[in-house]
Formats: sequence, C-alpha cells, structure tokens
Amino acid sequence: MSTPAAPPLLALRGVSVRYGPISALQDIDLQIQQGELVALLGSNGAGKSTTLRAISRLVKPVAGLIEWRGRSLARTATERTVRLGIGHCPEGRRVLARQSVAVNLELGAYLRRDRRAIARDLQRCYERFPRLGERRSQPAGSLSGGEQQMLAIARSLMGRPRLLLLDEPSLGLAPLLVAEVMAILQQLHREGLTILLVEQNAHAALAIADRGVVLQAGSISLSGSAAELMAHPDLKDTYLGEGEPGDG
Amino acid sequence: MVHLLQILINGLASGAVYALFALGYTLVFSVLGVINFAHGAVFTIGGYLTYLLIGGAVGANGLLAGLQLPLALPFWLALGLAGAGSALVSLVVEAVAFRPLRKRQAEPLLSLISSLGAGVVLVNLVQLLMGAESYSIPSSTLAGLPAALNLGGAQIRTVQLLLLLVATLLLVLLTLWLEGSRGGKALQAVSEDPVTARLLGIDSGAMIRLAFAVSGFLAGVAGGLVGLSVSIAGPYFGIGYGLKGLGVLVLGGLGSVPGAVLGGLIVGLAEALVPSDFSGYKDGVAFAILFLVLLLRPRGLLGKPLASKV
Ligand SMILES: Nc1ncnc2c1ncn2[C@@H]1O[C@H](COP(=O)(O)OP(=O)(O)OP(=O)(O)O)[C@@H](O)[C@H]1O
Ligand SMILES: [Mg+2]
Repeated sequence: MSTPAAPPLLALRGVSVRYGPISALQDIDLQIQQGELVALLGSNGAGKSTTLRAISRLVKPVAGLIEWRGRSLARTATERTVRLGIGHCPEGRRVLARQSVAVNLELGAYLRRDRRAIARDLQRCYERFPRLGERRSQPAGSLSGGEQQMLAIARSLMGRPRLLLLDEPSLGLAPLLVAEVMAILQQLHREGLTILLVEQNAHAALAIADRGVVLQAGSISLSGSAAELMAHPDLKDTYLGEGEPGDG
Repeated sequence: MVHLLQILINGLASGAVYALFALGYTLVFSVLGVINFAHGAVFTIGGYLTYLLIGGAVGANGLLAGLQLPLALPFWLALGLAGAGSALVSLVVEAVAFRPLRKRQAEPLLSLISSLGAGVVLVNLVQLLMGAESYSIPSSTLAGLPAALNLGGAQIRTVQLLLLLVATLLLVLLTLWLEGSRGGKALQAVSEDPVTARLLGIDSGAMIRLAFAVSGFLAGVAGGLVGLSVSIAGPYFGIGYGLKGLGVLVLGGLGSVPGAVLGGLIVGLAEALVPSDFSGYKDGVAFAILFLVLLLRPRGLLGKPLASKV
C-alpha cells in the first residue's frame, strides 16, 4: 500500500469546529490512507456530519489543519475540493428533486470535460443501479427513498472522486436496502475507491470497513480495526448510546 | 372583426415585453429567493442606452445636455449593445446591493431594501445626466422597413411585430439555454439547492452573477424595444413596468419561466382588450386579474408548491 514517507490521502490534525457558541468538534485527529474504507460512528449530534462538512469546507475549523495529500485545504473553497477529488454525498440525500435522474447524474460530472468517459460512466452507473436506468427521465423527487439514496451515491461517483465522503447512506432504508447499499460500497472499495463512511448503523458499517472511529460529543473516544471494534464489549452501550444498560 | 387581429398583435407585443421583464425577476428570484427591485432601473437604462447608441441627442436639462455620440448605429446593433451595457449595470447592482449582504449572511429580505436603494440611485443618476424629459427612438432607425403592414385590412405597426419577434426569440433561446446547456442546468441546481450545488463543484457565486447578467440583458433589451414602440417617458418610466412585471411574476408563479411568459401574455392581451376610451384603467385591469388568480390559486398559474423554496 502506501510507503511510510507518502503523506496520507487525507489528514485532520487537531481540528475544532464551532457553530457560534456551540462547540461541535474538539481537537480531532484522523488520517485516511489511499484505498481505505473508514467508518465514522457516533450517536446523534456527535459531530459526524460536521467532520465531513469540515473536510469539504462547508464549515471552517476554528483550530487545526486539514490536509489533502499533504497540502492544507485552509484556502480551498468547497467547489475546489470537488475538483481536487473529494466527493461528498451529504446527509439526507439531497437529490435535485425537480431535475430528472439523468440531469442529476450529469451534474455529478459537472467539472469533468471528458464527454466520452462521462457517457461511459453513465452507462456503467445504469448497470450498477438498474432502477436508475429505468427511471432516468423521471424527476428525482418522484423516486422512493431508497432510489434517491442510490441516485445520491451514483451522482457522487459520476464525479470520479478519489475520496468519497458518505453521510448516513442507510438512514431510513429497509434492512434489505441497507444490505444492498453496503454491498455496493464494498464493491467500490474493492475497486480501489477510498471511502469515509458516516453511519449510526455501526454493525452494517463495520462489517465492510477496514477501520472504525467513534465520535462522542465532538471528540474521538475510540478507534481501531473493524474487527476490534466489533468485538468491543462496550461499543453499543457506552460509545454509541444505544441499547439498555447491561444488555448484550 | 378586422380590429381583433390588431388588438391581438398589440396585446401579444406588449405582453412579450412584460414577459421579458418578468423573466429577469424570475432568474434572480430563482437563485436568490428575493426580488431585485433595481430591475426596473436597469430596464430604464437599457432604453436610454439604446437611444444614445442610435445617435440620439441629450436634451437641455441634464449634465450631459447637448451630448450626441458621434455614431448612429442601426437599431439592432444599438439594442444588442444596450443589452450588454444593462447586463454590466445589473452586475454592479449585484456587487453593491446583494453580495455584501450575502457575505455577511444577512437576512435575504434585507437585499430587497438595498436593491430598491440601488434602483433609486440609478434612476436619479439617469435624471442627473439626461434630464427628466422623454425621448423617443424614431422607427426610421429600422432602415428599409415599412412603418405598418396591411394584414387583411388590419393596420399592424411593424414595430409591434418586431417586438413580438425579438421577445419570442429571446424567450426560446433562454429556455433552450436553461434546459439544455451545462450552465443552464447548473443555474437551476443552484436555485434548487445551493449547498448541494457547491458539493457538485458548481460555483454558486458565479451562477448568481450569471443570473444577474442575463436578467440585466433581458431588461435592457426590453427597455430599448419599448423605447422604439412607445417612447422613453423620462427616468421613471421603468417603475411602472417594474410594478407590472412584479404582477406578471406573481401571476405566472414565482420562479417559473413558463409562468412568467404566460403571465406576461395574459396581462398584455387583457390590457389590449381595454377599449381606448378607458385606457386609463389598463393597470387596474391587469391587477384585477392578478387579484382574481391569486384568490383561486395562491401560488400563481404555474408556480411550484411553496414548501420547497423556503
Ligand atoms: N448549523 C448548525 N448550527 C448550530 N449548531 C449545529 C449546526 N449543525 C450542527 N450543529 C450542532 O453541532 C453538533 C454536531 O452536529 P452534527 O450534525 O455534526 O452531528 P451528527 O453526528 O452528524 O448527528 P446525526 O447523527 O444526528 O446526523 C450538534 O450538537 C448539533 O446540534
Ligand atoms: Mg449527521
């Protein structure tokens, strides 16, 4: 994989973010190597989405440094992070409801100029997500929740990102669809895509991740390999604030 | 019955100008969610620029009294350049009245007031430079075209036909651009969800400037066309059109491009149907229609459900 000398694809060093008086992240350190699938876990309000928003520069950290392949992003606008290769599939799907499925996908490739390759990627995308192909001329707002989630992921892929930031892709999906989404992410990971996956569904995320990081009230409280975290006795109760005390 | 064709053409022609005017509002509204109240002033400036570029002389009252540009461009060229100049003015309005407030994340409604202020300043500037008199653009600048056509007994002013033609052409081009081009789709993406648009790599600031430029161009061209077909009735002549344009915008549905066109044509036709003895009541008729439509359909004829915007 990467030699020790090569900088990580993405590095957060001591990053803190505030929303006015509210401190959302404190002193976050996180590194992602090329080709990794890292799960970012935590309960509601832990700061997961804020971490992704800081990486794509939708919020500006009050302290710390975010580096992309060794270069600081401090002066980079959100639009530019996309050009650098950071694809951010935001929380709550955010498809362009009035636009057709096809236009949503085209806009995913907005910054690319290689028309032929875009057409090929569109074709592959319809193969990977057959239901999007069937509904390509429908407005995206008329799709079901699961289909919209697929569209949001597919749209991010149309930008050919080097790093894909995914914010709770399983939210609101039936278990069967969650499994389908996770299988697609696993496949993308195998094809070499680097992924930072935000999830509340820790089990589903750790099942496909290389490593996991747990956020609690804006700080990293636990991190380790996916297997270690899965086996951790207190993961659900203490760290993710799920389940009753004393249960499993 | 011959008369009817004449009324129809007159109505469609002034309706087309209203539509052009309202489209400018719509473009800016759809990306920013606010009305640009300086739009009427940009329309005014388009009229004056056209007049100056065809070589028209400034009257005795303004600072520029007696000025006459040493060129007498053909109307079409003057109109196009006036549109471009108006686009620049519209960009200045964006930079002065909208961008600073947006940078400070101010309440969007505040830019309603700042744009109104920018509009008043522009209108006063025109008055300062050009005086308060009215100017007209002679149809002789349309070299070679007859003043009127006889269509089955109806006398149709050529100017009206041209107005209709130009407006239709611009409307078609605008629609093609919005629906078919990469930039047009990006503009629509910004209007639907600015944050998502940025995450797709779309520079929303650039798209907002684009919307202002296109909207200014449409307003300027509309101003020049009205100058030709009616006259430039002093620096304030854009204000009446501004109000009418707002009515058209609301009638058709805020943010809807086909709505602005439909609204414009309805208002234009309704006004043309008002008998000339009662022409003082034209505005009343236009706004009565608006009132009735809003009673039955609060979001306008082709408006989208309001929930998605706010
Ligand atoms: N725009 C905002 N303004 C003020 N506070 C905010 C804003 N966005 C988030 N916060 C606060 O920052 C903290 C972290 O929010 P964040 O959205 O990152 O959490 P999360 O881990 O993604 O939660 P969830 O799982 O519910 O999506 C929370 O306390 C939240 O209330
Ligand atoms: Mg979140």
